[in-house]
Amino acid sequence: MRYTPAILIGRGVRVLARLRKPGGGSAVPGLVVNRIAPGFLASALNGFPQGLVIVSGSSGKSTTTKMLVAALRAHGLTVFTNSSTANIKQGLTSALLERASLTGRVAGDIAVLEMDEGHGAAIAPTLTPRVVALTNVMVDQIDRFHDSEMVAALLRKIALRATGVVVINADDNYLADLGTDVEAGPTGARVDRYGVTAAVFEANPRGLGYTHTRSERLAPGDGLLVTAVNGRSAQFELGGVNYPVTLPARGTHYAVDAATAVATARAALGSRFDAEVAIAAVGSIPPVFGRGEIVTVKGEDLEFVLVQNPASFQLNVDSLEPDTEQILIAIGSDVRDPSYFWPVDTSSLRHVLIASGSKAHDIALQLVYDDVVVDRIEPDVGVALDAFLALPRPTQGLKTIIFSADGMRRARAHLGLATNAEEPV
Amino acid sequence: MTSVTIVSLLPQLLGNNGDAANARVLAQRARWSGVDASVVAVNGVADLPERVDAVVIGTGTDSDLVAARDVLLTMATQIREWLTGGVPVLAVGTGWELLSWGIELPGNTVEGLGIVPGRAVPRAARATGDLVVATRYGRLIGFENHARDYVGAEGSPLGRVESGFGNGAAGGGAPEGVVMGEFVGTHLHGPVLARNPGLADHLVTLMLKRVGVDYVAGARSEPVDDIARAARNQIAVRLELAIEA
Ligand SMILES: [Zn+2]
Repeated sequence: MRYTPAILIGRGVRVLARLRKPGGGSAVPGLVVNRIAPGFLASALNGFPQGLVIVSGSSGKSTTTKMLVAALRAHGLTVFTNSSTANIKQGLTSALLERASLTGRVAGDIAVLEMDEGHGAAIAPTLTPRVVALTNVMVDQIDRFHDSEMVAALLRKIALRATGVVVINADDNYLADLGTDVEAGPTGARVDRYGVTAAVFEANPRGLGYTHTRSERLAPGDGLLVTAVNGRSAQFELGGVNYPVTLPARGTHYAVDAATAVATARAALGSRFDAEVAIAAVGSIPPVFGRGEIVTVKGEDLEFVLVQNPASFQLNVDSLEPDTEQILIAIGSDVRDPSYFWPVDTSSLRHVLIASGSKAHDIALQLVYDDVVVDRIEPDVGVALDAFLALPRPTQGLKTIIFSADGMRRARAHLGLATNAEEPV
Repeated sequence: MTSVTIVSLLPQLLGNNGDAANARVLAQRARWSGVDASVVAVNGVADLPERVDAVVIGTGTDSDLVAARDVLLTMATQIREWLTGGVPVLAVGTGWELLSWGIELPGNTVEGLGIVPGRAVPRAARATGDLVVATRYGRLIGFENHARDYVGAEGSPLGRVESGFGNGAAGGGAPEGVVMGEFVGTHLHGPVLARNPGLADHLVTLMLKRVGVDYVAGARSEPVDDIARAARNQIAVRLELAIEA
């Protein structure tokens, strides 16, 4: 009953906010309720009958969260989840308000939250998640100006709140160390591990993009293993049983996201977990926008590939269909520091038709030093896209557009496609 | 065919900003001028090739400072020999700092190899952004991102800051980087040589001189350098500086 007045006020504000600005103002009621009832958010999140699951890490958390929610729903659970990491406190409170009863209880069996390391660690002290899943520690564009150490410390703060299970990527050395500490620590939480086999790891000669990769791979029986990846097909091994897996897009990083989701579903569901149900659900999620997404424009299929950090840039370049004939790269103002590209070996692209975006010259420079032929530099994304789409269809592969988040926004806007709030790898 | 060997020093520990790619730039420019070039990644003393014609070393995270320094110490003799023997060395950020007298951290000091003059000291706030430096190799435009200043190199800087922080001294014309013989230390990270072919060709000239070749830029350099100029001019416009024709 404690929160009834706050909830009523929050709902009133929501109505007002929508009257003033149709479709907008969704964070405003959260702001108001957090001000007058600061305990509401934590109380609601901690109040789900089957607890709270937090997914965090540098990258892959959006995809993993979607896969996990699909797996839990396939097991018959009603899941409360957040759709965006932006403005997490206000946004979450507003989303919870929409579904809260007047006593502050929110409909649903379990909550699954994707949390940015920064925001997650800030609200973590008030939360008691049953399960915390951690994907990896990478240096990403947004976080390039703080150390991986800092990211690892923030993830540690979140992990130490877990009451039940901490699910970690055993190939990431920061997380492997964190797992050892959790097991030795005072929280009593169990650690579940997932990882790739040596064979899968070796198929990615540049590694998987983690800041520090652990030198040994996870042993069979010590957790969920990704034992094979071939395009969109993969294989998992869990408890001595092999499972074929269909991924929503090509590549090892998708397989690892799927492994995170399945291992976390297992931790959250306990004895009710059915590996086949979870794996089928994980493969059924729609491809995340902008990462191997196929889009039809004027009757022609295009492939959108989003790169958000050097590691994902490399993984995406490596997982492109070989000999893709028509490639456009658009890197925008979101990439402030051109050194971003330079750890990436782009030589396998061989031929790029157009380099575009406000960083067109910088990306072109990187490409030509990698012996990639660049036909044209056109900073204006709209002009570049029109020229690219006007080309005859390729004989090999799809027309492929590789872009940074800013390049993607401009491209989608130009093509009249829905934009999205996904946070890709 | 004449051939040169370029060492990329500690690319695993000091490869944060793709600084190792500067080795690729030196190699490509040599190849475009008709000289064969190979890049050797050296992560430990066992990886050192027999002949070394140029060296690049880059930036890493502070948590790896001591580890990187300890590996460099095992090669201290070779590094000294390179510097006294006229091998061009480009050292960026942390790699440069580790070759200096030392790195002062808030709590302690990491002793450097003491091969180049000066030392790194903490600055109040991280210096992040475009850095423009007037040098004898032309106006260099790049990106800096460092939490420390560099003191003690005022005698022979790489150039004078036109925009940005550089070594960290206040006021216009403050020094950036250090030059000692064929050694160049700088905060300009990532693709500094690709963005600034003037500096690249200075190093390529020194490198090819070692194998008796007078460097003349290859035909392929020209369109590539046009792209680099466009990239530099874009930043010059944003900073309201004069553009290059
Ligand atoms: Zn972050």
